[in-house]
Amino acid sequence: MIRRLAIVLVLALFGLVFASLTVHHVERHSLPPLGKRYVELVPQELGAANVITGILLTYRAFDTLGEIAVLFMVAAAVGLVLGRRERRDLPRDAPQPPRPASEIVRTGAQILVPLIAIFAAYIIANGHLSAGGGFQGGAVVASSAVLLLLAAPSRQLDQQLLSSTESTAGVLFVLVGVAGTIFASGFLDNRLLPLGQFGSLFSAGAMPVLSVLLGVKVGCELSVIIDRFRS
Amino acid sequence: MAELIGGLLVLAGAVFHLSAGLGILRMPDAYTRMQAGTKASTLGNTLVVGGIGFLHPDWTLKLLLVIYFVLMTNPISSHALARAAHRIQVPMSRRTTVDALRQAREQSRDGT
Repeated sequence: MIRRLAIVLVLALFGLVFASLTVHHVERHSLPPLGKRYVELVPQELGAANVITGILLTYRAFDTLGEIAVLFMVAAAVGLVLGRRERRDLPRDAPQPPRPASEIVRTGAQILVPLIAIFAAYIIANGHLSAGGGFQGGAVVASSAVLLLLAAPSRQLDQQLLSSTESTAGVLFVLVGVAGTIFASGFLDNRLLPLGQFGSLFSAGAMPVLSVLLGVKVGCELSVIIDRFRS
Repeated sequence: MAELIGGLLVLAGAVFHLSAGLGILRMPDAYTRMQAGTKASTLGNTLVVGGIGFLHPDWTLKLLLVIYFVLMTNPISSHALARAAHRIQVPMSRRTTVDALRQAREQSRDGT
């Protein structure tokens, strides 16, 4: 009885919170000054159709670099916590063979993994044109890695290769940034490459390059994290 | 006309999604809940996305891809979940009387 009452009370409180949100919500009919400036500047100055990617990969690219660093630290921490225990607790000579996946999952993975990979490439390559970009595409890449591991549980991911690929992508990202300071007007400035035709696939200067590097890096990192959690 | 058909399809899909949510809340055990969540939401999603196809005919190809993807992934994932649950012997509802997977497994074990 008391539980029921508590549930009703919590629901009523939630209702109150959401009601106040909807009642006091006033739809904005014009952009705030900063947003307006960004919306005008990104297509004009950077040649990117997607304003958000333009901000993330040029105006606020240094923050993006920080975010990648955070993700890198997360991967390292997960490896530190989960990687050790596996080596100590499980004796090497008696490995338990994991149960093979069912035929349905294996067949499904064969069909779906290429599809997911194509979708990830699409998201990454269109980062400067429509919704998407390196982070999102990298997450999709990692989801195809999950599917692969589900379909073949005994398969080992080559962590060495993934780690070195990821580090290379990170170093290249910073190098593109440094090239921006030399050939354009600042760190991670996308105008070191020609802006190209607005709205086409190869446009917006260095932004597609940065997107691809981000996608590779995030995909590798998340795959490594997932593989660590598996053991 | 197309707008009406699209709206009705989206509404029908929403009804199926509602029934999926109700099923997840009300079904007695993990397997039936999984079944309710997957079956009804697959149909609901197909209907909703199909309805959007009527409302925006220029998106048809992408929407077909979405439908195809959900039709592929939803059954596979629920199959994998149910199989894993069965393997670790998640209890069934007391009203369930037939366990075809266990029977098949026992038969094949007797055969070999």
